[in-house]
Amino acid sequence: MDPLRLESAVPDAPGSAIRHGDRAISESGGLTHRKSVRYRTIDALRRAYIDPMSKPPAEDRGNQLLSALPEAERQRWQSQLEDVEMPLGLVLYESGGKMSHVYFPTTAIVSLLYVMEDGASAEIAVVGNEGVVGIALFMGGETTPSRAVVQSAGRGLRLPAQLIKDEVNRGGPVLHLLLRYTQALITQMAQTAVCNRHHSLDQQLCRWLLLSLDRLQGSELAMTQELIANMLGVRREGVTEAALKLAKIGLIRYARGHISVLDRPGLEQRTCECYAVVKKEYDRLLPARPAP
Amino acid sequence: MAAAQNHLIERLPRSDRVHLLALCRPVQLDLDEVLCAAGEAARYVYFPVDGFISLLTHGDGRASLEVGMVGREGMLGAQLALGVRRLPVQALVQGSGLAWRIGQRAFRSELERSVALQRDLNRYLYVLMAQLTTSAACLRFHGIGSRLARWLLMSQDRAHAQRFRVTHEFLASMLGVRRVGVTQAAGLLQRRGLIAYHRGQVTVLDRTGLEAAACSCYAADLRIYDDLLA
Repeated sequence: MDPLRLESAVPDAPGSAIRHGDRAISESGGLTHRKSVRYRTIDALRRAYIDPMSKPPAEDRGNQLLSALPEAERQRWQSQLEDVEMPLGLVLYESGGKMSHVYFPTTAIVSLLYVMEDGASAEIAVVGNEGVVGIALFMGGETTPSRAVVQSAGRGLRLPAQLIKDEVNRGGPVLHLLLRYTQALITQMAQTAVCNRHHSLDQQLCRWLLLSLDRLQGSELAMTQELIANMLGVRREGVTEAALKLAKIGLIRYARGHISVLDRPGLEQRTCECYAVVKKEYDRLLPARPAP
Repeated sequence: MAAAQNHLIERLPRSDRVHLLALCRPVQLDLDEVLCAAGEAARYVYFPVDGFISLLTHGDGRASLEVGMVGREGMLGAQLALGVRRLPVQALVQGSGLAWRIGQRAFRSELERSVALQRDLNRYLYVLMAQLTTSAACLRFHGIGSRLARWLLMSQDRAHAQRFRVTHEFLASMLGVRRVGVTQAAGLLQRRGLIAYHRGQVTVLDRTGLEAAACSCYAADLRIYDDLLA
C-alpha cells in the first residue's frame, strides 16, 4: 500500500482544512489544485506545522507618499532610494540626534515616542506605509526631541537627507505633499494627547491596534506586552489587563508576543472617537492611490 | 494557545494529550547541548516547542553531516515505537528554546495506552525515513548553493526568526563541505540579495527568492509531512 495515499484526515486534528476531493478551502496561504491532488503553497505548509507564528509574506504595496509623487520627482529619487530592512526595535533617530536619512516604510511600522528622564515613555504617533519618518529634516528644524523606533518589523525605503532638503527647496508638488502629510501627522499627535487624557486604557489599546493594523497587511502583530506598555505609557500589568478584557470578548487573541485581531468591526465599535478622527483626516489629506 | 505547542502533541485527542503532558516536563534546550550521542540508548523523549534539534551523522574521523532537523513539527525518540532505544545519529541542539521532555519508560507506557499516539508516531517514523532518503539524494545530486539555501530555510522555519547566528565553520560541518565552499555559496546568496550575512549573523531578506534558490528537497519534505501529519 502506498503510504502517501493513507487516509490522513484525523477527526480531532484542530483546524485542518478539508483535504480530499476537489473543494478548495482557502486558508491564509492559498490552496491550489493540480489534477486531483491538492497542493498548498510552501508558505502555507510551513506555517501549518513548523512556524505558525511567521507572518504571511507581507504584500509590499510600497509607500503611499512615494506613489503619490509626480513622475519626474520619482525618477529623480529612484536611484537614491535604498530598500532596507527595518528590524524590530531599530532606532531610526534618537532625541536630539542627527538624522542622515528619511525613511519611507513599506512593510514596517515606526513609532515616534518620547522618553522621560526616568525612562518612562509614551508614543506620540505611528508611521507606516502611508508616511515618512524624519519630517524635522524638511521642516528645517534638523532635530527633534522625540525618538523613532521600529515597532513592527518589516522593510522600508530610505533617502539621504540632502536629497529631501533639495527637493523641498525647489518648492512644488513634493513640498506640498509633505506639508499635507505633516498636517495629518500633527492631527494624529494632537488626538493622541487628547485620547491619553480622557479615554480608558482598553479604548486606547483598541485605537492603537487599529492604527497599527491600517499600516499592515493582515491581522497579525508581533508585539510584546512590554512594547505596548512603552507605547501607551503605562505599566505592563495595565496592558495585560486591557488585553485580557479584549480577548475575553473575542476581539483579539494574544499568545507569545503575537496579537491577532479577530473582530475588527468589534474593535472599531469599542474604541473611542479618536481613531475615526485621525483616520478621516488621513484619508482626506492623503487619498490612497494604487502603487504604480 | 494553540501555536505555542508541539504539532504532534496538538494532533492528539484531548484526553491523550492531557495524559501525555501530565507526564512531561518543560525543559529549556541549550544551544549546542548534545541530547543523545550516536548509538547511545535514549533516556528521554523530546517534543520541541520553539527550540530545534539537528540530527548528525559522523563519517571517518571528525567529518560530520547533518541528516535531519527536528522542530515543533516533530520529536526526538520516535525509535521507541520500534522497540529500540538508540538512534544511529547524534542529536544536537541547534536552536535554544522550550521542549516537552518525558522519560523513555513513561513514554513507552503512554504509547501502549494511546492508539492515536502510536499511529502518529508510526507516520512520523515514515516521515523521518523519507527525510533521510531525501538527504542522501540531496547530498549526492544537489549543489552546495541550493543545499545551503535549503538549510537556511529549514533553520529559519524552526528558529521562528528571520535572523540567527551561525558561523561558516559550523555550516561547513552541517553540509559536509569545506569552509571555502560555504563562504563562496553564502557570498553568492548575499549578492543576489537573498540573505544578509555579517559577523556570523544571517538574516533572510527574500524568502521567496531563497525558496526558489533552494533545491527541491525543501518543498518535498514539507509535502511528505503534509500528506501524513497534516
